[in-house]
Amino acid sequence: MKAAYSGPLERVDETRWRIPRDYKPGMRVDGIIFASETLIESIRADMAPEQVANVAFLPGIQMASLAMPDIHWGYGFCIGGVCATDPAIGGVISPGGVGYDINCGVRLVKTNLTYTEVQPRLRELVRRLFQTIPAGVGRGGKYRFDPQETRRLMAEGPRFVIERDLGTPEDLLHTEAHGRIEGADPDAVSDHAVQRGSQQCGTLGSGNHFLEVQVVDAIFDEVVAKAFGLELNQVCVMIHSGSRGLGYQVCDDFLALFRGMPGKYGFTLPDRQLACAPADSPEGRRYIAAMRAAANFGFCNRQLLMHQAREVFAEVFGRSWRDLGMDLLYDVAHNIAKLEEHTIDGQRKQVWVHRKGATRAFPAGHPEVPEAFRSVGQPVIIPGDMGRASWVLVGSAGSMHKSFGSTCHGAGRALSRTAAKAVASDRVVEKQLEAKGVIAMATSRGGLAEEQPQAYKNVDEVVEVVHRADLSRKVARLRPIGVIKG
Amino acid sequence: MYELFEHTADLGLRIHAPDLNTLFAEAGQALFAVLLEDLATVRPDKSRTFCLANEDRELLLFDWLRTLLLAFDEDHWVFCRFDVHIDRSTLQATAWGEPFDLQQHRPGREVKAITYHGLQLRQQPDGSWLAEVIVDI
Repeated sequence: MKAAYSGPLERVDETRWRIPRDYKPGMRVDGIIFASETLIESIRADMAPEQVANVAFLPGIQMASLAMPDIHWGYGFCIGGVCATDPAIGGVISPGGVGYDINCGVRLVKTNLTYTEVQPRLRELVRRLFQTIPAGVGRGGKYRFDPQETRRLMAEGPRFVIERDLGTPEDLLHTEAHGRIEGADPDAVSDHAVQRGSQQCGTLGSGNHFLEVQVVDAIFDEVVAKAFGLELNQVCVMIHSGSRGLGYQVCDDFLALFRGMPGKYGFTLPDRQLACAPADSPEGRRYIAAMRAAANFGFCNRQLLMHQAREVFAEVFGRSWRDLGMDLLYDVAHNIAKLEEHTIDGQRKQVWVHRKGATRAFPAGHPEVPEAFRSVGQPVIIPGDMGRASWVLVGSAGSMHKSFGSTCHGAGRALSRTAAKAVASDRVVEKQLEAKGVIAMATSRGGLAEEQPQAYKNVDEVVEVVHRADLSRKVARLRPIGVIKG
Repeated sequence: MYELFEHTADLGLRIHAPDLNTLFAEAGQALFAVLLEDLATVRPDKSRTFCLANEDRELLLFDWLRTLLLAFDEDHWVFCRFDVHIDRSTLQATAWGEPFDLQQHRPGREVKAITYHGLQLRQQPDGSWLAEVIVDI
């Protein structure tokens, strides 16, 4: 049985709970968890809060070690964690604070189709998506890049594939960092990583990754929804994947390299998985350059997944994807570290914001929000579970002083994979979803059971917390109607 | 002998064996039992040898599994049988299997990486060995 957290959790206000710095010697700042009264009970049930406290040990950490309401037990960092470190005072960069799946993220593609138009052809659409989009273990993609091209993908991001007609320049404008994080150095990425990723650009992967056909079923903010081009009954496509084997290998390579860093730079860590190096050290700089390269690969992966989805829609509905209005609303990363400017204790500072299962949520007016949305704020895409809902939120002002411009990233797991399978089998889950009007297909046995709705917290509750905390505000709720998984 | 245990979003491998060589061999099997739906579909037709060194036995186990994962993910090999010899800090191993083939091997779960979180390898009072490794799914 898993252990429950038994340390302190003091209520700060309606949505915040504190783990005081004196809980463990070595903590440099408090831990702060955003949660409701209901959610905090489930959060206490495992060791995730202990991991929030452990992150507070990181050299150079600013303000607090933060966790979003979808927090769950990870390895080293909890999933749903946010921390910022100041490189000017020896602040570290931590591969564990980004995660294995560098630039795991989500994109939402709109259509001008309504549910009524799609419903009669839904089964055919989902089947065609499932046949076309590679998912699961060991299935390579239809796009092949040799090592040299893979390195160009990492340097240039989706621009490289858009030049080959696999997207449009507008797609870039609606991708975080325009799909190209500056300072990426493909030569900092090992040959093993390049090899692992070479056949995987444009593949979904497995685990919690998915492609879903969804319908907008509620609008909470008419003005922002209009700015985002969302309306009731509109069909959209949500894509959740990351940098595939390439990113995993970059993380793995650097965790191994960073084993010796605490001794070399004179700090102690409570968990080996928190391995890190000063951001401004040769080792730190090399990881940053490799992580950025893997992140650009991740943007390309989602670009190619979107392109394949556009082609399937065009084929099924007999119109070009442009005629179907399949524009990208936005693409956001939720496993990443970014150098950003934030105000901390009244001072403007450049800090390394680690988002491990957390989404950037910049408010209206921020220069990094695409021009089309700058008057309302950055679109935030929150994938939920395959039976209930996913969300579109908008970045809000509170995020800038409470959470380094960050919000939640999903529902957060409530049951382990083994526990979920004991609740219901693939077949039962498939039937339950079908009864709700959702057609779901997965490549692996256990794929649907492990990812069934009951395995997740209720995403609506998670979203309610970040809305009330003013980290991001509710714009639209989408319900799934078609799901493909690895 | 190995079993899987739960860890919220990921998966744990628990391996129990009378000696260290057997433990490492079974850890290899446990990994491929996660990657494939049925390990029995792998024919031990071809072999590959591995040689690794690490002063820290836990990290040697970590490196062994990480090397096998890379052999699967990078070179597309699947293995079902392992012969491992550990002498102080070095490991020499032969793994038997064949190239991965979607027609023959039904894939199981994608393992992103072997993690250091909760990594344990220890000798039991009765002289046997026990290891726990959490893999990222």
